[in-house]
Amino acid sequence: MLIEQSAYANRWRRVSPAAKAAFALCGFIGAFVAGTPSAAVAVAGLLAVVTMAGAGVSPGRYLRVAVPALFFLSISCLSLAFSLDFKGEAQAMTFKLTPAGLQQVADVSARSLAALAALLFLVLTTPLIDLIALLRRLKTPELLLEMMVLCYRMLFVFSAAVHDTLTAQSARLGYATTGLALRSLGGLAASLTLQIWQRAHDLHVAAQARNNDGPLRFLEPRFANCGRDGALAAASGGALITLAVWLS
Amino acid sequence: MMLLELEQASYRYPNGGVGLEACSLAIRRGSRNALIGANGSGKTTLFQHCNGLLRPQSGVLRYAGTVLDYSRSGLRQLRSKVGLVFQNPDHQLFSASVQEDVSFGPFNLGLDEATVRRRVSAALDAVGMAGFAERAVHNLSFGQKKRVCIAGVLAMEPELLVLDEPMAGLDHAMKTEFLAVLDGLHAQGITLLLATHDIDLAYRWADYIHLIDSGVCTASLPAADLAYRDDALSALGLPLPTVVELQRRLTARGLLPKGLLPRTHSELLTLLDNTYDGKEAPCC
Ligand SMILES: Nc1ncnc2c1ncn2[C@@H]1O[C@H](COP(=O)(O)OP(=O)(O)OP(=O)(O)O)[C@@H](O)[C@H]1O
Ligand SMILES: [Mg+2]
Repeated sequence: MLIEQSAYANRWRRVSPAAKAAFALCGFIGAFVAGTPSAAVAVAGLLAVVTMAGAGVSPGRYLRVAVPALFFLSISCLSLAFSLDFKGEAQAMTFKLTPAGLQQVADVSARSLAALAALLFLVLTTPLIDLIALLRRLKTPELLLEMMVLCYRMLFVFSAAVHDTLTAQSARLGYATTGLALRSLGGLAASLTLQIWQRAHDLHVAAQARNNDGPLRFLEPRFANCGRDGALAAASGGALITLAVWLS
Repeated sequence: MMLLELEQASYRYPNGGVGLEACSLAIRRGSRNALIGANGSGKTTLFQHCNGLLRPQSGVLRYAGTVLDYSRSGLRQLRSKVGLVFQNPDHQLFSASVQEDVSFGPFNLGLDEATVRRRVSAALDAVGMAGFAERAVHNLSFGQKKRVCIAGVLAMEPELLVLDEPMAGLDHAMKTEFLAVLDGLHAQGITLLLATHDIDLAYRWADYIHLIDSGVCTASLPAADLAYRDDALSALGLPLPTVVELQRRLTARGLLPKGLLPRTHSELLTLLDNTYDGKEAPCC
């Protein structure tokens, strides 16, 4: 939900999503062409600065969104750094920290960091509805897009349903003891299953009522200054890639 | 001339629940209609018949004089003329953004993008949501969602607009504003049918009032006649509109001349003011 909020509230909400996606793509390319860890870290830093200073995403929120991803990144780095050493029998298993391993970890983690920063830039500045519209223009298969639209909408309907059911159960002391909590949780799952089924049916009826009998079509948002924003994004993205190459 | 007629329609839900029982209803072209009934009396079921979402197991539905043909093209035609606004906005809205959702119906009618764009902005204007076009649906309030639902149907430019309890959950200001929106639509020649529990509102606003009880339409009468039809109302356990009760009592006490039938509270107050303009009231 944090991502949602910032995607709607950032300074670059009205910038064409194509431009933002192009810049993020350049960020990804920069992450891959960066030959040394320091170059990749520089790319990541620049992307983060652009997100915070340019689009006006507050550093606190940026960190809060980044922390879970960073946590997973560090876990996988640890598992890369230590290599498992079998010496014949199972008892002699040891962990080893090798210089080659460390080098590899630095490489991989710096690159992932840059890629993560590029992704965060995109999702923190662009609402999913704009991204879906962009994907539609890029001729993504219609079926996939419809599923994305419905899943996205359902996500909110269900989080509201879960929230409501939980509140209703708690209000009647459903979670007062562990035993009761287990029972209530079961009830929640059962009621959600029914609701999902019911909702799917309701959606179908609602679509029929508005004369739908085929693909779902929607109006796409329009953005002013598409050309200018696109050119700007391409130029700055190109500069980012050049920097990455030059630093390595 | 009758726009939509339901004749002796019966519908039973698959689990055996009675939805409609030999229900007949006729809607005059260009009129404002209110459907009144208790919870579970079959209002939603009846409305789903108007749009062809449910098919009566016996009886017929006539639109503009012709019996509805439940083929794909027949339904298509009916649904492009009869717009249905659902009771629960979350059941109707399924796109992520307001503008997308409103554009859904017009695209289904096969209109081109320029026309759709024009209709979407006109519909959002009509319900006072023009500033919300690119907002995400889940960030709207309940009342705002309801308006978006109505815009989504208006954009299809229906001849008959069917609204399932549109006032439920709206605050007083929203209700007044919403009535103004409906009057605007009526002035454009759109026929309106809405379900409500509010008898005062129905008496004030509608041209015709239809009563439904346990799946049967028990009465259809011009709203003005409601003042004499205590029987029809009390059969459903409904009270008279408060303004009628007050007017009767005032007339009985000789405080108001006979034969005056105010439809709203403010009309009654004006009548009282006119009657006693300059004179002292006979009592107090
Ligand atoms: N999907 C369904 N399956 C089985 N029975 C149903 C279903 N929907 C409604 N019913 C039953 O049909 C009857 C009429 O329901 P309907 O929803 O039309 O009432 P309503 O007048 O719209 O009520 P409310 O004022 O509560 O919206 C009720 O007795 C209800 O229990
Ligand atoms: Mg209902």
